[in-house]
Amino acid sequence: MTNLATRNLKAASLWAFIVLIFVLVPVLSTSSYQVNLACHVLIWSLFAVSFNMLWGVTGMLSLGQALYYGLGAYSVGLMVDHLGRQWYLPAMGLGVLAAAALALLLGLLVIRVGGVYFTMLTLAFAQLGWQITFKWYDFTGGDDGIQGIIPPGILESGTVYYYFVLAVVMLSIWVLKRMAFSPFGLVLRCVQQNPDRVRFLGRRVRRNQLRVYVISSLFSALAGSLMAGVDGSIHTDMLFWTTSGEVILMSVLGGINQFFGPFVGATVIILIEDLVGARTEYWSLIIGIIIMVIVLVFPKGVVGEAMRAKSLLTRTGAGR
Amino acid sequence: MKKNLCVCLAIVLGVLCALPMAVQAQEKVIRIGAMYPMTGRAGLYGIDSVAAAEMAVDEINGKGGANGYKIDITFTDSKAKPAYAVRVATRYITEDQVHFLFGIVSSGVGLAVTEISKQQKKIFIGTDHASTQLTSDKLQPYYFRVANNTFQSMAAGALYLQELQKSKPWKTIAYIGPDYAYGHDQWNELRFSLDRLGVKYQVVGEYWPKLFEPDYNSYVTSLVKDNPDILVTGFWGGDTVAFIKQAQVYGLFKKSLYFQPDAGGNYELMSAMGAELPAGLVLGARHYNNWPDTELNRKFVADFHKRTGRYPTYAAEGAYAGVYAIAEAVKIVGNPDDTEALVKALEGLKIKLPEDPDGFTSYIDPATHQIMQVQAIGVTMPNTDFPPAKMMLGDWKIYKAEDIAPPPGYPNK
Repeated sequence: MTNLATRNLKAASLWAFIVLIFVLVPVLSTSSYQVNLACHVLIWSLFAVSFNMLWGVTGMLSLGQALYYGLGAYSVGLMVDHLGRQWYLPAMGLGVLAAAALALLLGLLVIRVGGVYFTMLTLAFAQLGWQITFKWYDFTGGDDGIQGIIPPGILESGTVYYYFVLAVVMLSIWVLKRMAFSPFGLVLRCVQQNPDRVRFLGRRVRRNQLRVYVISSLFSALAGSLMAGVDGSIHTDMLFWTTSGEVILMSVLGGINQFFGPFVGATVIILIEDLVGARTEYWSLIIGIIIMVIVLVFPKGVVGEAMRAKSLLTRTGAGR
Repeated sequence: MKKNLCVCLAIVLGVLCALPMAVQAQEKVIRIGAMYPMTGRAGLYGIDSVAAAEMAVDEINGKGGANGYKIDITFTDSKAKPAYAVRVATRYITEDQVHFLFGIVSSGVGLAVTEISKQQKKIFIGTDHASTQLTSDKLQPYYFRVANNTFQSMAAGALYLQELQKSKPWKTIAYIGPDYAYGHDQWNELRFSLDRLGVKYQVVGEYWPKLFEPDYNSYVTSLVKDNPDILVTGFWGGDTVAFIKQAQVYGLFKKSLYFQPDAGGNYELMSAMGAELPAGLVLGARHYNNWPDTELNRKFVADFHKRTGRYPTYAAEGAYAGVYAIAEAVKIVGNPDDTEALVKALEGLKIKLPEDPDGFTSYIDPATHQIMQVQAIGVTMPNTDFPPAKMMLGDWKIYKAEDIAPPPGYPNK
């Protein structure tokens, strides 16, 4: 019992530490750019963690989560553009609901197939969404994107919006974490490891896959809708397949078998992109090399390897 | 003893901290944050822009700077991605404390960055992106553009076609251009200008290959069938080269007049195709290495060649113009910190540029923040003065700046 309590306390203090760091960013930062960067880190982290519920936890590699990320962003962008700023928050809710509905609909089609076929189908639907957004100039603004998306009221201030993002992201990640370690999360892990056994145990594989697909898409859309207000502009790039690719990269870098892996991966990639991009145009070379090293030398990702190192050390400490 | 050491350390630390501040306070610097694509298909536009901007900075700083202020320009690869460019622009403004945002080749990226410039009230000098929107319905007080927009090129093109109808009556016209905003804008603006001039024409084909399409064969065979008198294209960069190479095989240019007034006359095409480039194509661009034949243009082209070992593409002169516009504005205001005064100075700023023929000086229109320039359109013909090009433009037709500007209220009217 005490053991469990200590473990809970440990987990809670880790959470508190992460939240504290992000809470302090606006206080300690020397410029509003660092707040902006932290905002990017938070939103991409939510996107990556929600994506990893699908891939790392359930073993469904989707190459089309950008569809929902873009849907969230465009529902905010379009409603603010056409109806006015006061629609910002309702549009976020609507975007999330729309994403859930679309995921339910597409999910019924795409989860019927597994493995690489699932990946290809998700990619196809996402590219379809991108094409429509790209070409429908009168409605979506086409490849010019939408500008002038300013959050309403007090959210207009960068710092207030940052705390809003922080609260939404932390709450979402907490919900996702609870889910990942709930009985539902266990079933999802079983689905990844041995779908047949899940059936023998009287659980439905497809229904659980559909559930997690909808949940992951919903939180991806939430991340997209938050992003719309960070820079005040959105672009069709958000729906392009490279955006889906980026979250895969973040998950691999952080470690797909760790819940916080994608969070760390997103943070590392955004910071590298920023630091390297500011100094040289060979940013892609550097990122490429880092990814290669991670994959070859630390296949479990940053967090995964750190955990392994920790468990090795504690074992030695226990006198083994 | 220990106490003394602490005091000493504190003093040393204090001095070290104060030193950079003192240096910075004495330094008179204009900080420019530039963003260009340095990689990928638009990379050459970025690389030439950077070289020309650095050349302008060296020239101005070599003469003691603008009103005693030296120019310090920083470049970052925009990756041609709007979200990334916005992040870089935010960093430039809040961390590096730049006085001006600068550059950008793609209009989609330009539209995203102009939003940041508006929010942060920081002047953004656009040098190469051509979407008319930025200086019409999406114009904001802190944006200025020092290169032609597509409307101006296409209006000049319409005047060219109107004149041509008198000497060589043509009736049918077809268009092929990349399927994104830039391609669509050019075609809409050309038809708008033709209609405004009252030119009668019949459209026999419209084709929208995707950007960076490698294979134009199916489009070319359709165009051969359409047999238009005038074939207008809206490509840029490598797409122009690929299309011309593939269309030439089918003899498309023997029957139809090839017409590309916005980006066709870029030196990039001449250097890439050498002797393969057919004669008689009608092309336009934002700057030419062999026109106007003025002292300033000859010097600009020669200096660029000396610096880089190659002749400039048109993006170079845009960046060069941008740096000089900033220097002139700072000279008028006296410092680079008073943004509102700089906006006033840039509105209506007159500046002599390499692309200005004798008797004309470029100026920024106070109403649209768009630079007003003479536009020339030429025809390809043999000329080996600028190797590796074997063909250059000649037989110029010149259009006045006032005749090719968008009407007030465009595009909503």
